[in-house]
Amino acid sequence: MRKTFVAAVAALAMTAGPAGAQEKVVKIGVPLPLTGAEAKFGEMEKQAYEMAAEEINAKGGVKGHKLSFDIQDSGGKAETATAIVEKFVSINKYPFVVGEYSSQCSYSVAAVAEKYKVPYLVVTGAADKITQQGWKYVFRLNPPSSLYNLGVFSFFETVAKPKSIAILYENTDFGNSTSKAMKEYCKAKGINIVLDEGYQAGAVDFKPILQKVKSLRPDIVYMVSYLMDASLLMRQSKELDINPQAFIGGGAGHTLPEFLQNAAEASEYCMSATLWTPQVKYPGAKEFFDKFKAKFGKEPDYHGVEAYAAAYVTADTLKRAKEWTAEAIRTALAATNMMTAFGPIKFIAWDQFTNQNRMETLVLQVQKKKYETIWPKDAASAKYVYPVPRWRDRK
Amino acid sequence: MTPQLAGQIELFLQVVIAGILLGGLYSLIGLGMSLIMGVMRIINLAHGELMMVAMYITYLAFSLVHVDPYVSLFIVLPALFLIGAGLQKYLITPVMDVESVLPQNQVLLTVGIGIVLSNLAQLIFSADYMSVPVSYASKTIYWDVNVGGQTISLSFNFPFLVAFAIAIGLGAALFLFLGKTDIGRMIRATAQDKRAAAIMGINTKRITYITFGLGAALVGAAGTLLAPVYYIYPAIGGPFTSKAFIITVLGGMGNIAGAVLGGLVLGLGESLGSVYISLGYKDAFGFVIFVLVLIFLPKGLLGKSSV
Amino acid sequence: MTKKAVFLVVPALLVLIFPLAFENPYILHMLILSMLWIVLGVSWNLLGGFTGQVSYGHAAFFGTGAYATAILVKSGQPPATAWWGLLVGGLAAALLATFIGWICFRLRGPYFSLSVLALSEVLRLVALNWKEVTNGAEGILFLPAFNDKGAYYYIIFAIAAITIFAVHRVMKSKLGFYFLAIREDQDAAESLGIDTTKYKLISLMISAFFTGVAGSFYMNYMGFIDPGIVFDLSKISIMMILVTMLGGAATLWGPALGAVIYILVSEGFRVYVGSGHLVFFGVLIIVIILFFPNGIVGSILEAKGRRERRTDNKDPKQVGA
Repeated sequence: MRKTFVAAVAALAMTAGPAGAQEKVVKIGVPLPLTGAEAKFGEMEKQAYEMAAEEINAKGGVKGHKLSFDIQDSGGKAETATAIVEKFVSINKYPFVVGEYSSQCSYSVAAVAEKYKVPYLVVTGAADKITQQGWKYVFRLNPPSSLYNLGVFSFFETVAKPKSIAILYENTDFGNSTSKAMKEYCKAKGINIVLDEGYQAGAVDFKPILQKVKSLRPDIVYMVSYLMDASLLMRQSKELDINPQAFIGGGAGHTLPEFLQNAAEASEYCMSATLWTPQVKYPGAKEFFDKFKAKFGKEPDYHGVEAYAAAYVTADTLKRAKEWTAEAIRTALAATNMMTAFGPIKFIAWDQFTNQNRMETLVLQVQKKKYETIWPKDAASAKYVYPVPRWRDRK
Repeated sequence: MTPQLAGQIELFLQVVIAGILLGGLYSLIGLGMSLIMGVMRIINLAHGELMMVAMYITYLAFSLVHVDPYVSLFIVLPALFLIGAGLQKYLITPVMDVESVLPQNQVLLTVGIGIVLSNLAQLIFSADYMSVPVSYASKTIYWDVNVGGQTISLSFNFPFLVAFAIAIGLGAALFLFLGKTDIGRMIRATAQDKRAAAIMGINTKRITYITFGLGAALVGAAGTLLAPVYYIYPAIGGPFTSKAFIITVLGGMGNIAGAVLGGLVLGLGESLGSVYISLGYKDAFGFVIFVLVLIFLPKGLLGKSSV
Repeated sequence: MTKKAVFLVVPALLVLIFPLAFENPYILHMLILSMLWIVLGVSWNLLGGFTGQVSYGHAAFFGTGAYATAILVKSGQPPATAWWGLLVGGLAAALLATFIGWICFRLRGPYFSLSVLALSEVLRLVALNWKEVTNGAEGILFLPAFNDKGAYYYIIFAIAAITIFAVHRVMKSKLGFYFLAIREDQDAAESLGIDTTKYKLISLMISAFFTGVAGSFYMNYMGFIDPGIVFDLSKISIMMILVTMLGGAATLWGPALGAVIYILVSEGFRVYVGSGHLVFFGVLIIVIILFFPNGIVGSILEAKGRRERRTDNKDPKQVGA
């Protein structure tokens, strides 16, 4: 008993900051993959959190305290992420945890947070099940992966009206759950699924399977890829001269700036479901994009703005919380109702989801080597091109 | 001839072409390991990481000095040769001389080397995906063939064709080198019987340095040739190491022609399997073939190995 | 004898009392992971260090144990009964071991090693693709039965203690002699009338059993698994080997020491340096192999002039090649 008391006092002393510090700081724990396969996204989110914290602190911080994110590297491993959060909760005594990137890590962290009754804000992890467990302390800012395609579905119904589709997805948690949603939609609407295959990420040569897709002549080729597979798939589709009415991606890889670089001409006219583009009409969206690009020399995609918005939600929650304990923060978080550069944030429940933010998703298309929002119409920055021109007809 | 049948023929031919072209690249990856395993009986589990090093060198040459990958082969080959020889001389040979309970220490040493290499690369270059975006990366040669009134269109990716040609070329060069030159003969002698070779006056230690260097250079070349059509990141090595030893076993250790054949077999097997059997299990085919060959054809498909 | 007992009993008691004194979940988590890796190292070592069969694919058994439990739970049993999964996991892994052994023991040395690696990878791909049973890449999750880490701590402690005790007893028995004989010179052992295939299989099955139990425990403790985690080649299979080599193959406590070092180094680096812990680990492995080829414990024993029953000065490089 006495030992625990001593430990608790020591921990409190640690979190209070170095002795004699002039500023008061409130620290929030953020696990992220800064190394490993997802480091690219982890890095982008880290920069976004820090940029937001700077802005918030420049405007006076939170209740006179400087907001500081304690960002730790989970390497994309669920084991490490949970160890980090255990440490956040038991040693650092943070009353609030935000972040993580992959569905897998977010899921594991959520389970830990729920167990310790510490509020956790999911920012990027997309697998549906994370907010389908009826957990009280887990809140999610980003839409679940089954909703990623909402924009695409509405595009199908209004414009494309496809009769057949080929579904190719990366055999990961994200790839499986996103493509599952598309599959269920197509089955319900009577769209013929001519091919439905999962591939191992990191393959060198997709031509065999792409040729198979070509031989089946689908109206739509739908792909879900996290990373560089997206650019390889498009390049090789161009080489094989595959000409569906459109290529549509399920987010992630198909919205990265590197996709444009790496796939070059093959990316032109490629569409993708997306959660956000710099052209959306939410306040601060464009400013965020420009400032991030100027500051870090690269363009942020929806992952970056998710982290940026999460930082603002954190600050807002801390401002509204009666005191900075886990319970009070949880209550404040649940009452969130604000607009961010990412979109409106309000945690509601529907179907099996609880504490889930619900947002429109969009469709983008690469036009003249830039990402343009093409759907829904009221968010569009350019007119859609559908059906896309055949490869050999393009300049 | 219906369009559907033509489509199936086009599918089959295109898959075979893809398999063969990929197989050429695989052969190059396997050649190096076959040589090393054949001569020194060392399984180099850092093989893929050596390829990664070559790819980063290619990347630096391209992005800093605008050297085309095919030209940077002339940088990569000697660089990897030196690195390989150095590893053999300063790390692997000392371990081979040390007595220990398990003879597998050499292999584990290479595991350690691989871990250091890939994580160093990550520290230096970050885990970002790098690419070498040459203008001809997607350049394709089309061949439209008339089959029974229907046109089928076959496409050949230019960088893959070049990689295939260079891989076969290097394979042939290696074969001639081993067969006709003095050093080549010394390598083969050491592979057959190290002690006898030493007795005959061959400096077997130096031969092992040269052999490892050659093996590293070959897989380095594979990396450079792969760079335009793929991408580069620190953890890229692992799966290619697996492919390398599958090819080595398929071809028989130390058997050059066998390694080339093994690469082609693996490439074709993956391509055909992914389309006609299952895409999800594509990587499993190689492993299953591997175990079957190990058990039933231990000297490889050609029945000849140096072990 | 009593001195040795003291060396064993006192630390054991300390370890047992620890969670009662310190309730810090983070430290308990580190200790639990350490003990898990002790089980992994010691069980691998039975086959590898003592029997001389170096398996590069032990993740197959870890994953099988984990999935056996997960599937049991998924089929409807409430989490508490998943404790049967420990035994089921171990048995499932042992069963798999007969299959893998039957295929791979036809091969020697490095070929054996690589063939087990290949089969482990195939198993990983099966787990990834057979979605009806394993949920594929989406993995299986359920909330751990116990909220408090203490329960898990004692369970893994018991598992580790049993594993070490079992390996110790086996090596002291006739089985142990056969294993060592096979390691030193399989052909000579065969010519002496030892059924080497049978004993290799027994060694593999015991080794796989404990690895499978560890896998089951992992599932119960972490509450989430997917094929990429539990069948991982470099993070599980190869790490099991490295951990054993670090501490000393063919010693009883070597793998345990290696396991603790591994966990401490990884976490220490993560917290204080932020990244690059694997570079350090890789360099450590290289240094150990170059200068302490029998691992830390092995070198200590050597220095003391003893070794785990070496019968002659036969050149170990000839063994199993």
